[in-house]
Formats: sequence, C-alpha cells, structure tokens
Amino acid sequence: MGRKKHPVLTLLKLEFVNKFGTVSLKDGKSVFKSLFYIIGVGALMVALYYVSIIFFNMFERAGILYEALVLVYGVVFAFLCITGVSSTSKVLYYKGDNEILMRFPIKPIHMFVSKTLFLILTQLGLVMVVLVPLLVGYAAVTEVGISYYVRIPISILFCVLIPFFIANVFAIPGTHLANKIKNKHGLIIILFTIVVSLFFAIYMLLFDSMVQFLKDTEFSVFSPEVVKIIKDVCKYLIPIKYLADMMVLNELYIAYPVLINLTALTLIGTILVIVKLYQKTLLGNIEAEGSAFKKVTKNKVRPVFLSLMNKEFLEIFRSVNYSFQYFVLACAMPLMVFFCNRITLALAKNQVGEQITLGITLLVMLIFTTIICSFSATSISREGNNVYHIKIIPVSPLTQLAAKFTMYFIVSFVANVVCIAVIIFTKQLEVKQAFGAFGVVQACSIALTLFSMRRDIVKPYFNLSGEGELVANNVNTTMSVGIGLLIALVIGVGAMFIGYLVAVETALYYSLGVAGGLLILSFLTYFTRLKHRFDYIGT
Amino acid sequence: MLEIKNLYKKYRNSERFSVRDLSLELKPGEIFGFLGQNGAGKSTTIKCLTGIYPFTSGTIKICGYDIQKDPINAKMNMGYVPDNHSVYEKLTGREYVNFLADIYKVSKREREARFDKYVAQFKLGHAVDTQIKSYSHGMKQKISIIGALIHNPKLWVLDEPMTGLDHQSMIEILKRMYDHCQEGNTVFFSSHNLDLVSKVCDRVTIIKDGIQQCTIDLHVKGNKETLESTFVKITATEQDLINRTTDDIFGIGR
Repeated sequence: MGRKKHPVLTLLKLEFVNKFGTVSLKDGKSVFKSLFYIIGVGALMVALYYVSIIFFNMFERAGILYEALVLVYGVVFAFLCITGVSSTSKVLYYKGDNEILMRFPIKPIHMFVSKTLFLILTQLGLVMVVLVPLLVGYAAVTEVGISYYVRIPISILFCVLIPFFIANVFAIPGTHLANKIKNKHGLIIILFTIVVSLFFAIYMLLFDSMVQFLKDTEFSVFSPEVVKIIKDVCKYLIPIKYLADMMVLNELYIAYPVLINLTALTLIGTILVIVKLYQKTLLGNIEAEGSAFKKVTKNKVRPVFLSLMNKEFLEIFRSVNYSFQYFVLACAMPLMVFFCNRITLALAKNQVGEQITLGITLLVMLIFTTIICSFSATSISREGNNVYHIKIIPVSPLTQLAAKFTMYFIVSFVANVVCIAVIIFTKQLEVKQAFGAFGVVQACSIALTLFSMRRDIVKPYFNLSGEGELVANNVNTTMSVGIGLLIALVIGVGAMFIGYLVAVETALYYSLGVAGGLLILSFLTYFTRLKHRFDYIGT
Repeated sequence: MLEIKNLYKKYRNSERFSVRDLSLELKPGEIFGFLGQNGAGKSTTIKCLTGIYPFTSGTIKICGYDIQKDPINAKMNMGYVPDNHSVYEKLTGREYVNFLADIYKVSKREREARFDKYVAQFKLGHAVDTQIKSYSHGMKQKISIIGALIHNPKLWVLDEPMTGLDHQSMIEILKRMYDHCQEGNTVFFSSHNLDLVSKVCDRVTIIKDGIQQCTIDLHVKGNKETLESTFVKITATEQDLINRTTDDIFGIGR
C-alpha cells in the first residue's frame, strides 16, 4: 500500500490543477502549450531586462539611479499588495471550491495552509519573473559586486512575504468592502474607469519619457525640480527604500532589522486575523456570494423596443465582468486614444511629417473601437440558457436584434464622439480631417458590430459559468478582434502611405471609401438569410 | 386552440426523426397531458410548437395562427414555462415580469392586477423586488410561471413543470392550471408523473420514439385507472420485459 498523501499536498495539487490544468508529457497539445507558455515567460523577462536598462540609464543621467531602484521596488511592492489583497480575498474567501470543500471532512487549517502555499508559490513565480530581469538590468547599468546577485533571492523573499502578509491582514476588510459595494454597479464602473485611465495615463507618460530619452540620450527627461521631488519621495518611502538599501549595501544595520521585524510583525498580524476571523469570513462569504440586491420598482410600461434595450442594458450593467469589458473600456477610450495619438504623432511627425497624422489617428481609434465592438460578438452567446426567450417572444428577430444593435451603437457612437471632440480640442487633427476620421471610425464600428453579431447568430457559444456569464473568450470574440485589427491596419496604414505619397485629402477619401465599402458589405452579410439563421439559434 | 398536423422533426446531423407524423388537437378549457419516457420526443415537440425549434414538415397552429407563417400572432396567444426554470437572473422578479408584460403589450392596469394576483397566489410577495439569482429552484419556477401568464395566454405550455418542486408548490401550480382552464383557456404539459397526469388531465397523448402511440380520454370510465398499465405496456422495451420477469422471480414489486 502506498503512503497516504498529506491533505495539504492533495489540496495544493488541486489548486494548481484548477489554475493551470494538468501537464502530460504524452499529450502533444499539452507539451506544446507548456512550451509556448515557457517561451512566452522567457520573452517577457528578456523584454523587461532591456526596458529596465533604458529606464535605469534615464535615471542615471539625472543622477538618481538609487532612487530609480527604490521606485522599482515601490511599484512592485504596491502592485503585490493590491493584487495580493484581491487574490487572497478570491482564493481564500470567495472561490467556489470553498463551498464544495467545506462539505468534506477537511480541516479548515488544511484548507487554509494549502491555499496560502498556493498564493505564496504563485506570488514567488510572479516576483521572480518581474524582479529578476529588473535587478539584473540595474546591474548592467552600474557596477555591482558578485554579492549583489546573492542578495537578489533574499530581496525576492522579502518582496513575496511582506506584501503577502500585509495582503492577508487587509483581505478581510477588503472582502467586506467588496461585498458592500458589490451591487453598486454605477460606482464600480466609475472606480474601474478611474483606475484603468490612471494606470494607462501613467504608463503612457512613462513610455513617452522613455521614447524621448531614446531619441536623445544626452538629454535629461527630468527637470531639477522633478529630481528633487523624486529624491524627497524616495527618502520617505519606508519600508520599501530598505529593500533598495539592502541591494546597494546602504545602511545595512537599519535595512535588515527593519525588514526582518516587519516580516515578523505582519506574520503575527496575519496569524491573529486568520485565527480569529478565517472560518467566520469564509462562511459569511459563501452566503454573500449568492446574495442579491433588492430594488423596489414600479410596474412601468415601456414600448417593446425600449424594453428589449433596457433588459440588454441591465444584463450588462449588473455584471462586473461585462461592465468592465464594455462600459469601462468605452469610458476610458477617449483618454487612451488621446495618449496613444499624442505619442505616436510626436514620433511620426518628427520622422516623416504631418501627412501621416490622419492615418495614425485612424489606426489608433480603430484599434480601440475594435476592442469595444468585439463585445457584440457575444450578443447571443450571453443569453445562455435564456436563449429560449428570444425564440418564444412575439417580437420579430429583426426587432430583437435591432434593439441589441442600437445599444451597442449608442455606446460606440458616444465613445467616438468624445474621442473626436478630444482630438479636435487638443488640435491633434484639423477639424475637417477630424470629422472625416469620425465618419470612417463610425462606419467601421457599425460594420464590425454587424459582422460580430452575425457571427454570433450563426454560431453562438453558450459556455457560461459562475453567475451565468461568459468568462472565457470565445472564438467569435477572437475573430471579431482579428477582423477589427485587420480593418485598422488596412485603413490606418493605407491612409498613412497615401497621405505621405499623395495627399492627406486623398488619404481621407481612401479611408471613407474603404469604410463605406465595409459598411455595405456588413449590411449585405448581416441580412442574408437572417431569419433562417435566427430560427436555428440554439437548435 | 392548438392544432398540430403531421409534425415531423429531424435534427441537423441526425439520421432519424425525433418526431414522426404527430397530430394533435386541443380544445378550449382542457388540460392536456403529454406522456412519454426520457427521449421520447416530448420536449422536441414542445420546442417546435413554441417556435424554439424549426421543424421538418407539418403544421402547427395556435388559435388559428400558423407558427411558421404568422409567428408573432401565434406566440402572442401562448405562454411557455421551460423545463430548466431559466430566467434572467440579474433582473428582479418584478423587472422580469414587467419586461415580458412590455413584450406582450399588456396594459398597466391589467399587468398590475394579474401580477398582484399571481404573486399572492404563489406567495412570492417577499421576493418580487429581489434579484432572481437569489431565488430557490421553486421560486424561479413560480416567477417563470407568472411571466408566462402575465398576458393571460389562451394556450399555456409547460415542459415538466413539477420537476424538483415541493408538494405545496405543486399544489399551487396545479390550482393555477385548473383556474386557467376554468377561464376558457387550454393547458398543455409534459410529464413523467403518471399519477399526477391521471388526476388533473382531461386527455393525454402517449409518445414513444417520436411516434404518437395513442390519445386517451380520461373522462371515459376506467381510463384513469388503467393509464399506468397502458403507459407501461406501450413504452416498455425488451429490457424492461426481461427486468420485469426477474422482478417476478424475486417477488419484487408485489
């Protein structure tokens, strides 16, 4: 008889299988997938290494290399704390298997330990992939001794443990907060939009600075005032600065005791929280997951079309998952387009000239429009088990689909109007060109919506999970994004070439022509045997 | 009320017909039972008559409207309760019923009167303004029924309506079925439950392998009592007969 496996190990294996699936050396597909994953991670690490060299060089030129290291630790630390709270809360308190596991004779301590180990190991993997190339990149910019490389694993250990323990302490209040705002859908959309926009803005500003630095390495991207601010901020970035101190052998007599004591303190905090609250919160959350909100409404009478649109809107609005995929991205789109356009225009204008600005704007706008429009590729699939409703109600297929289309149209139209207003206001394009670009993007977004909807009518995928939502990407969405990117390239790059080689006006006519052609084609494709296709949905 | 003539249905990529030459005629004011074993073709027939599935040949008329030629009017006269109790769970009970009332163009006065009546009858008053995702299995079934009845359909179709319901909920639904027929409407429902069908139905049809075997009038003396034996005789397979012999040997079921 074989040795009995410890329950913690069995549960840990279950967590890994759930997250990453099983890898079998006998299965070619599985081996290929694993190889692809390893190569992808390797490529990411190499990319991070080269980006970090540019980043550290930029700071070194301004004489603030140490501060750059503090900032890197700061960002990684903050990221790990925030994602740690989220993943701890999900894995320890929310995950659906808690409900299943609690039915079995498994001790809560075993469940907790296996899930904790899973979190620590995945966190360790993440930190290694991100931090190792950055720290090696630092070493490539300045002289470091061999002991620097020995300290990398120690720094990684602190970077995994301290944020993990902090995340554990904050996971319970975080979970309670999430439960409190769970049904405040408008607030969630606003918060997500702010966070997405903020991250994107910071990312693009940093990218902009790096591009400027690359163009002129003698030029310092930081003014003396900014250098002073960075130095002051880093001086007070406690306890994160001690991780950098440890690496550059600065004030080690303070750095090590602070880091060790902080690890111990947060560990004690975690143990206290777990002992007192784990089981209670777990039970509370299993109850909260199924809970729903109450909203007293009147028996309001609406016209059929508006009622269909209202239902479609509520189904998206009341899902955090769908809201994020759709409304949040639509809200953040103008800001994303503005930043992308500003940087690419600045780059291209210097290299080639103003003739290609229209093409670049179209390319950028069409890429973001594609992402938003791809949501319509799940218009039928999202119905899931409710698909019978669309077949039994006494409303023609054309009207039902038109209600869905109108809602997508309104969202993309508003997003495009705001985008163009921003582009005109910031003088990224002339008014006439901007209106032309709006026409092109709007026509393409209608065409793409119709292509995507048609695809989903012909072949819906009703693989819903959890709260009856589509979580995994389906083929229709992938195809929609593929077609959208192709359209963006054909129109955007084509307009750039024509603008540069012939004239901007000709580029505009070209874009309008292609977009008009696509619009006609999409209408023809969409309406061909539409009723017949509709009748076969879900059969 | 419902007229099915020579219905044939073959699924795409299937070589056999799931329903073959099925004909039925339902009268106003009757409860009609549709009996058959799993996979006999009950749900397929129901999905054809509700417009969910297209069918190969034959005609289906609801209140004189052809489901293929005039689907809007045909569906306007029908209410359907599916076997999976699936409803839009992100909506509240009231929002869901109001959505359907809008779709069936029910006036405000009528929808309010019916809504209040059904909510009271099904004892859902405490939950109508809560999201449906928090409802129990039985509550989902009840809100689905209210949604199907909000336009007071002439034909009410239910697919396995009693599956997984407690005794009290079953009684509430049966009472609603009786009341609906008393108002001159028709109820058509499929079930496995022979005892229930024999108690509530006026007529039943038994289907096996997609073929209609017989239609029995339960008001004819003796038919109610012999329904079970008739059903078993019609639907029994060779394996069932072997099992029965074995049961007889071991004295099971005596």
